Amino acid sequence: MGAAARIAIKDLRLRVRDRSAFILGLIAPLMLAFIFNTVLGGAVDGGGLSLEYGIVDLDRSEISAAFTSVLTAAESEEILTVETFPDRVSATEAVEEGDIDAFIVVPEGFSQAVFANRSSTVEVVGDIDSPTSTQIAAAIAEQFSSGLAASQAAVGATAALVGEEVTDEFVASLSQDPATAGNTFAFTDRSARARQLDESTFFAAGMAVFFLFFTVQFGVVGILEEEREGTLPRLMAAPIPRVAVVAGKAILAFLLGVISMAVLVISTSLLMGADWGAPLGVTLLVVAGVLSAVGIMGLIAAFAQTPEGAGNLGAIIAVILGMLGGTFFPVGSTGGVLSALTYLTPHAWFLRGLADLSGGEASWTAALPSVGAILGFAVIASSVAWMQMRRRWVR
Amino acid sequence: MGVVLAADSLTKTFGDLKAVDDVSVVIEEGETFGLLGPNGAGKTTTISMIAGLLAPDSGTVSVAGEMVTTGSTRGRAAIGLVPQELAIYPDLTGAENLMFFGRLQGMTGTRLEEAVAEVLSVIGLADRKDDRTSEYSGGMKRRLNIGIGLLHRPRLLILDEPTVGVDPQSRNAILESVESLSREGIAVLYTTHYMEEAERLCDRVAIIDEGKVQAEGTRRELVSLVGEKDRVAISGSGDLSAAAEAVRSVPGVSGASASDHRIEILADDASTILPDLLARVASAGGTITSVEMVEPNLEAVFLHLTGKALRD
Repeated sequence: MGAAARIAIKDLRLRVRDRSAFILGLIAPLMLAFIFNTVLGGAVDGGGLSLEYGIVDLDRSEISAAFTSVLTAAESEEILTVETFPDRVSATEAVEEGDIDAFIVVPEGFSQAVFANRSSTVEVVGDIDSPTSTQIAAAIAEQFSSGLAASQAAVGATAALVGEEVTDEFVASLSQDPATAGNTFAFTDRSARARQLDESTFFAAGMAVFFLFFTVQFGVVGILEEEREGTLPRLMAAPIPRVAVVAGKAILAFLLGVISMAVLVISTSLLMGADWGAPLGVTLLVVAGVLSAVGIMGLIAAFAQTPEGAGNLGAIIAVILGMLGGTFFPVGSTGGVLSALTYLTPHAWFLRGLADLSGGEASWTAALPSVGAILGFAVIASSVAWMQMRRRWVR
Repeated sequence: MGVVLAADSLTKTFGDLKAVDDVSVVIEEGETFGLLGPNGAGKTTTISMIAGLLAPDSGTVSVAGEMVTTGSTRGRAAIGLVPQELAIYPDLTGAENLMFFGRLQGMTGTRLEEAVAEVLSVIGLADRKDDRTSEYSGGMKRRLNIGIGLLHRPRLLILDEPTVGVDPQSRNAILESVESLSREGIAVLYTTHYMEEAERLCDRVAIIDEGKVQAEGTRRELVSLVGEKDRVAISGSGDLSAAAEAVRSVPGVSGASASDHRIEILADDASTILPDLLARVASAGGTITSVEMVEPNLEAVFLHLTGKALRD
């Protein structure tokens, strides 16, 4: 067995005895993921889209029927459920009881108003506790109305061109029904397109990769502890290559990171129902993520003067990267500069890689772009760290 | 007896400070060689270069015929280093510490187990081998610190101030261990600023100050450097530092230093100038309790060579 491995095993024994790595690497992320999932579940966009709507068709016209049929058609895509209510009162009761998120009222005389080129309002009533769902319902109604307005204008213009009045017969003579001509909206699972994880997986993965950086620090900071405790000269005086001392710390950091991530992947899958995706893809992401964490924390250790200094700076960097990388909330979905900056962190690429694997149909290869990006962080950070460590401890 | 250590013209500079200046050391098998000097004299820098921890700016080191550099491993295999600071893991047991460092020396299996058992017996920790060293006393930690350096039966054992901060009982045990190792044929390089230890243990001593070897030889050879000078020891109280400063200006005095309750003076024909010396001490605020004329020792040699005391 090589000297580096012996040093890593010795350090692992020490870490097991002081239990701090165990607490920070396993207990803390698992607890926080569980708490976040329980407390914040549903507050984070990106959970699978699930909408429960009602429709109150007081108009009972071809137009309102078409609207209802479009909504109902979306049910088959398992995105939303649509329930028809005879009146506003029963629909309101359903909202209050939490049976539906919102309902859309097509008022009586709506189609007549459309043909008469008069204004009419499609009403949306939503649950105050489901603002997102209500907004989506309002957007649907608005798009439907906009489509109708466009059709209305097109029919009017056609009638003017041919010198006819706009009557039901005239409209029927056109090849396209104005009620459906404007229905350009379609229900698709935006979460899948935006590569978002479900809540359990998001919090599990977020906390796992966030605490990963703290966990690997137990390994790389070891060389500073050896220096402080006075054991480094004895290691350096032993008949082993000096690089073995640095390598031993890196091996331990890698081991701690992999063990921590493996336990968290398995435990959150079993306890929280997290769906991490194709095992091979997840393995690649975990290995790349651990390597990047070792590189970044190693870089900090290489320049720090004391273990405490490395610990403090490492914690600050880990928190900043974790927050920016969207481990607590999906920063990337906010758009703008933050959305771009988030990909300056391995955390964001890790979560994106997992999202690319999610859905049950994705191949492990879907994670490769993210794996490549994360390895880029690992290579850059490790190279700079190595240059400094070589100058400081290996020469 | 063959040469175990040959360090030739070692020089090391840190910024503007020349920490070690052209130091050469040769130690033969079974010989104990002392580097005697005050704190900051360059002893630790010298042994760091000899142990391969620090690259010299110039000069070479060979141990048991192998060149020692920071990049080589073969030469270091013949060295046992006992650093001045405790170099043990507090959360490992005594036996685990020994096993770990033994493995780094390439020892395995029965050979390692037997060596660990033997060293534990030698350092008197066999009964406490399974206790974490954080539970050891200071003396026990010191003994383990030395034991780790002995584990692989090195040809050269380097001990850097091994008795600093050690109680008298443990200190004596350490000195006895070094004497025993020397008898077994191990070459020992021993750094200290305690004159008594150097006189007791070392076959030869190099007196080092400000990075340079001021003199080197056996105790007798070094003491002879003092020549016909007399050594006067004045015990007392009061401001003895000021008193030592005052007596330095007395004609015939070649050196004076103050330590706890004692002034050491090196002078020509001390009996003639003794009244003047006593008067100067008294006028400088010192209260004299006793005066003795003593045989020159390494302390006197150091005083003679540098004009200051080892503990200055």
